Amino acid sequence: MIDRLRQSILRFFSLFRRTRLDRDLDAELASHLQMQIEDHLSVGMTPAEARRVAFIKLGGLEQTKESHRYSRGIPLLEGLLQDLRFALRSLARNRGLAFVSIFALALGMGATTVMFSVVYNVFFDPLPYKNFNRYVVFGIQNLASVGGWKGRNFFSPEEVRAFREQNHVFEEVIVHNGYRLLYDDGKFVRHWPRGEEVTTNTFEFLGVPPLLGRTFSEEDGRPAAPPVFIMNYRLWQDKFAADPKILNTVFILDGKPRILIGIMPRRFNFFGASFWLPMNLSQAGGSLLGRLKPGVSVQTAGADLDAIAHALQKTYRSEMLPLPDKFAIVPQTLLDSFIGGFRKTLYALFAAVLLLLLIACSNVANLLLLRATVRDREIAMRAALGASRARLVRQLLSESFVLAAFASAAGCVLAYFALKVVVALIPAGALPEEVVIRMNTPILFAVVGLAVLTAVLCGLAPVLHVMSADLQSRLAGSGKNVEGHFRHGRMRAALVVGEVALSIVLLIGAGLLMRSFFILTHADLGFDPQNVLYFRLNLPSAYHTDVDVTRQKKNALTRQLLDRLRALPGVTSVSESMLEPPIQYDWSDTIIPGKPHSERWETHFEVCSEGYFQILGLPLLHGRLLSEDDMNAQRHVMVVNETFSRQYFPGEDPIGHQVKLQVLDRPFLDAPHDTYFEIVGITGDYKTRDDQSRSWRAFPQVYIPYSVQGFSWRTYMARTVANPKILLKNIEQEVRANDSSAEIESSGTLAGSLQEFYQRPQFELFTLGAFAVVGLLLVVIGIFSVVAYTVSRQTHELGIRIALGAERTDILGMVFTNSLRIIASGVVIGLLASYGFSRFLTSEISGISVSDPWTYGLVTVVVVVVGLLACYFPARRATRVDPMIALRYE
Amino acid sequence: MGHAKLDLLQGTLDLMVLQTLASMGPLHGYGIARRIEQASGDEVLLNQGTIYAALVRLQQRGWISAEWGTSDNNRKAKFYSITKRGRKQLAEDAAYWQRLSSVMDRVLALPEVEEKP
Repeated sequence: MIDRLRQSILRFFSLFRRTRLDRDLDAELASHLQMQIEDHLSVGMTPAEARRVAFIKLGGLEQTKESHRYSRGIPLLEGLLQDLRFALRSLARNRGLAFVSIFALALGMGATTVMFSVVYNVFFDPLPYKNFNRYVVFGIQNLASVGGWKGRNFFSPEEVRAFREQNHVFEEVIVHNGYRLLYDDGKFVRHWPRGEEVTTNTFEFLGVPPLLGRTFSEEDGRPAAPPVFIMNYRLWQDKFAADPKILNTVFILDGKPRILIGIMPRRFNFFGASFWLPMNLSQAGGSLLGRLKPGVSVQTAGADLDAIAHALQKTYRSEMLPLPDKFAIVPQTLLDSFIGGFRKTLYALFAAVLLLLLIACSNVANLLLLRATVRDREIAMRAALGASRARLVRQLLSESFVLAAFASAAGCVLAYFALKVVVALIPAGALPEEVVIRMNTPILFAVVGLAVLTAVLCGLAPVLHVMSADLQSRLAGSGKNVEGHFRHGRMRAALVVGEVALSIVLLIGAGLLMRSFFILTHADLGFDPQNVLYFRLNLPSAYHTDVDVTRQKKNALTRQLLDRLRALPGVTSVSESMLEPPIQYDWSDTIIPGKPHSERWETHFEVCSEGYFQILGLPLLHGRLLSEDDMNAQRHVMVVNETFSRQYFPGEDPIGHQVKLQVLDRPFLDAPHDTYFEIVGITGDYKTRDDQSRSWRAFPQVYIPYSVQGFSWRTYMARTVANPKILLKNIEQEVRANDSSAEIESSGTLAGSLQEFYQRPQFELFTLGAFAVVGLLLVVIGIFSVVAYTVSRQTHELGIRIALGAERTDILGMVFTNSLRIIASGVVIGLLASYGFSRFLTSEISGISVSDPWTYGLVTVVVVVVGLLACYFPARRATRVDPMIALRYE
Repeated sequence: MGHAKLDLLQGTLDLMVLQTLASMGPLHGYGIARRIEQASGDEVLLNQGTIYAALVRLQQRGWISAEWGTSDNNRKAKFYSITKRGRKQLAEDAAYWQRLSSVMDRVLALPEVEEKP
């Protein structure tokens, strides 16, 4: 055994000692022959005879050397190394071709690596938590067609207990709740970014150890336990300069002391919280997260939880969190709940990048095929000298392997930089913060696999060429006869047709996204989003005491603040509302006496001040708008928009009718319950985001006075004459001057929130657009090289034609007709394929049909024009052929 | 690595080389070839060249060692000698061959049965 091992090692190392070993062997054989010859001479042979017999007895000098090499080394590996050396040499002789091929492949592989890195990190390794792919979150969906709410994923302690104790599907369950608190550093009292209250088993459940200190123990959840909390990495970095000494010190949170017991590592961002407080598992209410037992499906879990909830329904009564009559439990993996629709986007882009890689491969296959055809005679010669087909195929494949190896190295470098761009472009919020997109070992392995695949794909065409042809006739022919490679000409043409078709698919995809993006960003929203600032307030706890006090205080604050804002220089109008248009909105089911309906009437509603119409410039169509008087008197009046009037009161005048917004009936809201509002006026529409189709749409919408309720977020808007951001400082001063305990929680401009909304389609557009442009570039290379090659092969024929009196235009026409035929076939196939594929883009596209004729037409024109340009230069060379030279050219 | 088919043949030549070196002491390649030809009564048609493939193999396995030296008639030649491990291997292989050949003798001694028409 050891002897064998020793032999293998020596065999391997002999590969690197060829020269020495060969010299040694030469000397040894020389002495062998000499001794033999001497022996022969001594028995009386003639010198010539002695020499001849000695060689015969040895069995041939070269054969002996070869069998010696065969035994001492690893023949297969040596052959391979030889192939590689040869491939490198022959590529070095054709630097242009090698460069173009490597460039084309590197683009394809680089793009694939980028997309693969994104897909891998998002779907296979997104979260740092133990067994995260078995995490399931779930909510209740209200199945009633009318009613105040569609669903919730917040559960009462009683519900949590039932799920936790009676389920058969989870290994363990944790409960968590959003939590806001005030931090008192001795000078100021400020809100920290949102945190979470979590059950004490949470950190063990997630399986991530703390960076510093410890995580919660069961003791920390006990009612009498000393209050503690854990901080996330970012808060520690941003607010405490990463000072480790703050561990185990006391913080004044919400006016009470709490000890900081741990700090979590950077890649721990559970539900985006900046801090965590412990909660006793047995009394917790909130959102639930369970870890499935191995082998249990999400559907099974859903059915189990559904049964538990329905059993509970018989005894369960709750004012705050009622169970509706008809409902279902809807489970979802945690990852799906995070990534949702972005999954489809990524898959579409991944498919696109594979198309791009195919284009690159067929491009390189074509170039290699060209070379194989040029090398017909060389290959035939090798075959004639005894190279087996297998040996020739190996030789050709090793060339494409060398190309693929260089290309994958270049592709990785390219991908490294491109990935940074792509990561920067990924819209905020599309991925959970824990996702880290980077290149890592599994991805590099995949790139190696991809290189092998690419090499085989690229090498296939020339290999087929070698396998198929009758080598003998090629050797006999000049290697340049036209009908000799008519067939391979067809193969080359087919490859270019394929390239053109694939690039059409990519371009149409990108074109559709571009048109759709243009329509989305240039839509007339019904108001001017420029120069409008908005901000929301964070109100101190003094506001949240008794219901009536809260409402009064909030109303007073709003009135005072609106007056102050209006007085600021540069401000033309101000308003207060629940949310800022057009991305954010709230909606309610709508009840109108005398108008029964079985489907949901989803009416958008806004609780606003009288300035709202003015700030958005909504025209009054009929009746009157909300007035300051309505606000002060807290009147139950309502202004509706045109769509509302048309949809719910077709052919009628809605003014004077009563409308109830069912969402206001929720018991925990400080809002007029079971109250009807009287319609007093109709305004023009403005458009808001349509969740279903990513577009703008006018929904039925109503406006009621802000003063009738105390629950809403207070969002203030100010229209300014110049850049609204400049005013933010002044506004902040006004807010503080008005009530020193209030602070601005978030602020921005309407134009800015639109930009944010456009990030996602922009990301898709940019990525797919880049792929499409690269694809088109590859097609240009493909067409150019094929036409250039064909022309150079036809020099002889062209010379004869010119000598016989063909005009330049005839020659140009000839070359162009050929190319046009190829391009046209590619275009037709591409258009048909696009028509089939574009269905997958439906959810990303709005405002136009997925078979938009303009896009199809324009892309066709672009590809044909670019294609013809690509063959113009080689074609022009064809017309310059000097017949004398051409005829001698052989 | 192409061993399989040649195993028997290789084994035979390797064994012959080892035995020759064991009985004759250090020898060069030509000497080994001559000795084998003589010992076999020229019954083996030996392609002398194949000796060298066998020699490099045996050397890589550590059963023989090689050294440049000078022959009887003052010629530079590579001399091979059997190592301790080579002798052990020789003993094992020789025993194996003897067992195999005695089995073959007995099997081949079995009488043939006439085929029935």
